Amino acid sequence: MLLALLLASLVGSAAAWPLGRTLGQRSVGWLLALLPAALFAGFLRFAPIIAAGREVVERRGWAPSLGVELTLRLDGFAFLFCLLVTGVGALVVIYAGAYLAERTAADRARFLALTLLFMTAMLGTVLADDLIALFVFWEATSVISFLLIGFDVDSPSARRAALMSLRVTAGGGLALLAAILLAGAVLGSYSLAEVASRAPQLAGTPWIGAIVAGVLVGACTKSAQFPFHFWLPNAMQAPTPASAYLHSATMVKLGIYLLARFEPVIAVVPWGRDTVVGIALATMLVGAFLAMRAENYKAVLAYSTVASLGILMMLVGMDGPMASVAMIGFLVAHALYKATLFFCAGTVIHATGLSNLRLLGGLWRFLPVTALASMLASLSMAGLPPFFGFISKELLFEAQIESSWDVVPMTVALIVNSVIVGVACVVTLRPFFLGRGRVREVRHREVTALLVGPMLLALLGLVISVEPDWFDRTVLGPAVSAVYGAPIVVNVQLWHGVTPMLLLSMAVVTIGVLLFVYWIPIHQRLRAQTLLDRYEAEHAYDLLLRGIEAAARRVHALLQRLELRDQLGVIFGAAAAFVAWGLLAARVTPRLPGDWGALRVGPALMALVGLAGAIGAARARSVLGAMIGTGLVGLVAALEFLTYGAPDIALTQFAVESLVVVLLTAVLLVLPLSAPSTRTARARWRDAALAAAVSLLLFVALLDMIATPQPTEVSAYFGAHSLVDALGRNVVNVILVDFRGFDTLGETTVIALAAVIGWSLLGPRGRERAERTPAHAAPRAAFVLEFASPLFFRLLVLLSIVVLLRGHDEIGGGFVGGLTASLAFAIVALAQGVDEARRRLRLSPLTLAGGGLLLAVASGLPGLVTHGDYLRHLWFELHAGSVQLEQGTTLLFDLGVYLAVLGTVLTFLFGLAQEAER
Amino acid sequence: MSVLLALVASGLVGCGLYMVLSRHVVRMVLGLSLLTTAVNLVLFLTGRVRSTQPPLIREGSERLGDSADPLPQALVLTAIVIGFALTVILAVLTLRAWRAQGTVRSDELRAARALGDPSTPEPGGDR
Repeated sequence: MLLALLLASLVGSAAAWPLGRTLGQRSVGWLLALLPAALFAGFLRFAPIIAAGREVVERRGWAPSLGVELTLRLDGFAFLFCLLVTGVGALVVIYAGAYLAERTAADRARFLALTLLFMTAMLGTVLADDLIALFVFWEATSVISFLLIGFDVDSPSARRAALMSLRVTAGGGLALLAAILLAGAVLGSYSLAEVASRAPQLAGTPWIGAIVAGVLVGACTKSAQFPFHFWLPNAMQAPTPASAYLHSATMVKLGIYLLARFEPVIAVVPWGRDTVVGIALATMLVGAFLAMRAENYKAVLAYSTVASLGILMMLVGMDGPMASVAMIGFLVAHALYKATLFFCAGTVIHATGLSNLRLLGGLWRFLPVTALASMLASLSMAGLPPFFGFISKELLFEAQIESSWDVVPMTVALIVNSVIVGVACVVTLRPFFLGRGRVREVRHREVTALLVGPMLLALLGLVISVEPDWFDRTVLGPAVSAVYGAPIVVNVQLWHGVTPMLLLSMAVVTIGVLLFVYWIPIHQRLRAQTLLDRYEAEHAYDLLLRGIEAAARRVHALLQRLELRDQLGVIFGAAAAFVAWGLLAARVTPRLPGDWGALRVGPALMALVGLAGAIGAARARSVLGAMIGTGLVGLVAALEFLTYGAPDIALTQFAVESLVVVLLTAVLLVLPLSAPSTRTARARWRDAALAAAVSLLLFVALLDMIATPQPTEVSAYFGAHSLVDALGRNVVNVILVDFRGFDTLGETTVIALAAVIGWSLLGPRGRERAERTPAHAAPRAAFVLEFASPLFFRLLVLLSIVVLLRGHDEIGGGFVGGLTASLAFAIVALAQGVDEARRRLRLSPLTLAGGGLLLAVASGLPGLVTHGDYLRHLWFELHAGSVQLEQGTTLLFDLGVYLAVLGTVLTFLFGLAQEAER
Repeated sequence: MSVLLALVASGLVGCGLYMVLSRHVVRMVLGLSLLTTAVNLVLFLTGRVRSTQPPLIREGSERLGDSADPLPQALVLTAIVIGFALTVILAVLTLRAWRAQGTVRSDELRAARALGDPSTPEPGGDR
């Protein structure tokens, strides 16, 4: 059921994109809000289970061999979050439908779809029990938040803010991943519940410090704690519905969620709780200070959110049951009133186009219902009875009194809460009720969709505190029990009598009202302190970014400006150096082969000729000379293959050498033949030294390899089964076509792709140019060649077919056959011109190559149909009169290879010959 | 015998590497072709040249007798064809470069440099 809800959320969010484009502006918000509303109802059905103190766990195997499971767990805490996310989500979608009324339908659809996708990611994060899954959803929320903040893609400040939020939160996410991987490696399990319950086991390892640090960094970046708080006010660049959803009610609470889940692990380290509370206190002070300093409507709300998150963090860090109660209570209260205030801010900005608090005033005439909602929310924020904010403040003070922390947190909380009260007053009274006449007209009136969200949430803050019973039993109680780890009965009441908490609350309200009354002078004084701008955390972020880019530029200038040959020299030189150093450091003496064999004249001469050819090619001062040297080397290699028992390869190498000569000559006829040295003498000596070093190392390695006995199990297997199972006597061909057929199929694909490359480099343009230049007859070739070429053509084609057919039992095969056939066409092209060769082929060579590939692929299908194995070759007995033949699908495969090779070589041949004829 | 092959292969690698480090593109292509041949020889050498008998099952027997190792041969066969395709593609690219830029020196083929240095910051970029 949980998985079903999550999947429904995902599918619905994805469907919202195309759907949102087609729906009209008036209805898109209401209709799309049905998804979160339905999910809210779906989660609500779990209420009886949760209220009874049980949890819902669903397991789905993901990669059982790796021990990866998708586990979803719904306990009280997750239940609270799910309701919050889906409930507020529905209201945000309704609101956004009206807020984005002037945008295009595409923009609206994009925003709503992103909001719904974000909701899915949040649900995934709080429901996931597997830490890896949690991390994935965590990062998903970061990415979607990035997309929402940068929603106005044309605005540079929006882009900057989006990048800032992504860098900070994703950076924290990396730290979190490190911590998760460490914990998983130590405990052998990635389950969140297990990590929490086995925390003492983690304490014994040396990794505990890193794990706790990683979790803390991840949580602090997400929840905008000091010193990572600067991204949240910048995130106000997002459209206000996104700010209301992400940056006040849900996403920023994820850090708190994470720390609450990891509390056992943090508590196990002596410095854990202290660090958390310390960071929280710093955040509270910084947030409060900056809130007094800010002037922009949304910035004030953002900074007060930072301060409130600090309060939540402090409550997470404190021990004692009351701390958990206060944390949950404040979490809910803050979500309710902050979202409302953001909604109202959005309506005001949308209506007036102004966002500076000093320019706004008297708006209750134009936006009465919004003013009412704002006032209700502010009263809750200020902590006045009978609102839920009052109860949560009382709980906060009670938790502080009862915990082992003393004066410092209390004082800080006092100051910060006063500032929050002040902010509450400023944010409602200034724009709506005071300063009559500052704003003359508004662009948009209130629309129902803009009012549903704020009014509902504001009234909820009132209803919960007046009728807390169901809420206590079903939502608050189980959440607190889940966080604290033991069942707690929560009894949230409005009036507990005259307690120290009540006195503290009264003091806070008084100071807050004073702050409001003197807001302008205080605010101006603080703004005048420009010195503080230099020490802002955001400044550090900018400096860090610039430093990284400068360092990158320097590294690039150092390493990437090298010429190609220098880069190659570095690569080879470094490789040789590492190998040599490794050999010397390990003090390994290479083994020498015991039996060097008798030195026979034939092979010795061949080796000499080969080396001479190579050295000649290296030293040649003309392109033709280099080519002759290379061709000589290829021929010697073919002879070596022939001598040492590899006739198939020898045939292939011979054919390839001939074709290389033909094809490269066509290229060389176009290029200048003289190739003077392009390196100075010194560079040449250096290159020669490097080449000598590499070749010496290779020789030593080869000697060592020759001296070690070769493992022969695989070859023995092939030798034993080639005839018996695969019905072929040519073991090499059987390996290529049958045992390792899939590899050969891949290589055939590569060859066919080479044909495409050749066609695109030589084909159409070549044909165009051929049409433009006056066609002239091919120069007459030598008489003998012209006379003999038709005969040779037919002979060679016949030979190639014979080679193809006999390949399975004797020397031959598809590759050799294809190359032989290419030689046939090469002769015709040389003797009678490309057009004649094309005519004889009839097809386009590219078609041939593609057809060959298709045939090779298709030859594996009969085996798939009959045996369920792709490329399992089937054999048939054919009777033609008295002739009995046994053939299999291997022939089809080989034929496919034949055609592919032929087509590829001919693509290049025709194209290059055409280029040469110009 | 294998030692001779090893000597040839190493020598080819040395010459091929020397040619690849040149600035002349055709020399680079031919050097790469030499390197490919050398690597094919090395691959073949992993079969430890013992017997010079081709790996064909003789008439009358059911399994392969003493012969050259078939497995490296299968690897080398496709490697030769693909190496050939690579050499030809590079040659065609050289041709295109010559037609387009009029040079075959790698330090003069600088069409991408004309687009500018990617490491200089954009004026007025996203900050």
